[in-house]
Amino acid sequence: MIQQVENPILEIHDLTVSYDQSPVLWNVDLSLPEGKLIGILGPNGAGKSTLIKAIMGLVQASGGYVKIFDKDLDQVRNRISYVPQRESVDWNFPASVLDVVLMGTYGKLGLFKRPGKKEKELAHSCLEKVGMSAFASRQISELSGGQQQRVFIARALAQEADLYLMDEPFAGVDMATETAIFQLLQEMSKEGKTIVVVHHDIHSAMSYFEWIIMLNLHLVASGPKQEVVSEELLRKTYGGKLNLLTKVTDLIRKKEFNPLKN
Amino acid sequence: MMTIDTNAFLIIFTASLIAISCGLLGVFMMLRKMSMTGDAISHAVLPGIVIGFFISGTQRGIEVIIGAGLLGILATLIIDWLRKKAKVQLDASIGITFTLLFAIGIILINMLAYKVDLDQECVLYGEIAYLPIDLWITKSGFSLGPRITWLAVLNLLLVITFIWLLFKELKLTSFDESFGIVLGIPAGAINLALMSMVSYTTVSSFEAVGAILVVALLVVPPATAFLWTKQIKSLIKLTIGIGIGISVIGYYLAFWLDSSIAGMMVSVAGFVFLTSAVLTSKKSKFKFGTQSKEEAFSS
Repeated sequence: MIQQVENPILEIHDLTVSYDQSPVLWNVDLSLPEGKLIGILGPNGAGKSTLIKAIMGLVQASGGYVKIFDKDLDQVRNRISYVPQRESVDWNFPASVLDVVLMGTYGKLGLFKRPGKKEKELAHSCLEKVGMSAFASRQISELSGGQQQRVFIARALAQEADLYLMDEPFAGVDMATETAIFQLLQEMSKEGKTIVVVHHDIHSAMSYFEWIIMLNLHLVASGPKQEVVSEELLRKTYGGKLNLLTKVTDLIRKKEFNPLKN
Repeated sequence: MMTIDTNAFLIIFTASLIAISCGLLGVFMMLRKMSMTGDAISHAVLPGIVIGFFISGTQRGIEVIIGAGLLGILATLIIDWLRKKAKVQLDASIGITFTLLFAIGIILINMLAYKVDLDQECVLYGEIAYLPIDLWITKSGFSLGPRITWLAVLNLLLVITFIWLLFKELKLTSFDESFGIVLGIPAGAINLALMSMVSYTTVSSFEAVGAILVVALLVVPPATAFLWTKQIKSLIKLTIGIGIGISVIGYYLAFWLDSSIAGMMVSVAGFVFLTSAVLTSKKSKFKFGTQSKEEAFSS
């Protein structure tokens, strides 16, 4: 079930990515609508992060192309925001929370210019949105995992983009924070921002995302949640992983009293 | 007595300038986890120095600095290529690259030794004590003071300008390189620019402290400062302070024990580092994080 859309905000055409000759993404072909909260689901090693990195030009595609806002990446960098995985950096780095959030403004500032009062105000308001205002002057080495994740989200907000790509922003985040951040993302999508999130937990994915992409080296599905979430497609995505499969079937059975239905 | 004091001042002053230049660049090398790449560069520039020396016929030629700069960048590129394309581990690719280039440099010195006034001793160890007699004399015969001091002043000015201009970019690409790339910041070019500055600084300093000890000045002061602070601005200030401190103490210890000044500076640096490591491991007594400050603020 792959649904293509008219006037897509993001169009991926026949994208293939390989590391050392072995492909990790095969012929991914999809298009995404504007102003939606979109989840990318799939088992470990399904190529979810690779897909995000290929969109951002961080890994080289061996075939196919990506168009964002119907343009090449380099023309629209200022309109795209990126949240990398928390483990991708060393949090022992000597910087304060505010320093890191300010980095989100560097793209629009350009070379040589320093962030000024305007950028600092923006950074503070982004910290407020993720509930981290009180931590602005704290060193990042003194944060918990969930706080680090919120700092990364605040940094992405400071980019003031139209399209947000987030790589597992909920890894190691407690339930309360996860709910708060999802609410923030839902508000943003109501304002017309498009948010693409790599996500692990199928259960919460079903309650929050409007559009779901299922990936397992190949693209299994891409479409509105109501049409995509079926036992068959989930089996196809997580197939072979027996343990997970039973959990998935459980979930499907529970579907009647899922928030999805209401 | 007067002359000895002037000489002492000049040597300490020059040594401090060199230690500060190296330390400032070393801070960013350390934050990029590239301290050993600095080591590699300082050795790999040797063939560049020899070739530049051979072309210009003098140590003072701009060719020497260009030759060394090119070799430094070449070394960085080879290390990067071995690591990313040939899948060699970082430490192994550093080890292979700089020993190979250094060996080529040694062979070149031997082959060209009869043509140029350059020996391994000078390149490897340097000698800052000769600084006061190596004067910069203009064509009219007017002495402007020690040549190496002028080189060190110029070097420090360029290093400060470089870091001041690119501070934000250096900070971002050191912390999260892929985010920098996503923002469209030329992370690769900034990395190469930093490596070129390290190469240039190494060449500019090698007559004074030699190719081996310059590594210590790149690595040890920033590493020591990082034990004490987790803020980038105080990290830089502390690194500068340590650079000046080891120059003063190193000079007087060397004077007292009649030993190598550069050697003594680095020994002092090593001692300061070890002492700091022992002291900061007893965290309860010496707490420097911002967390404690904030708690104090809110109470």
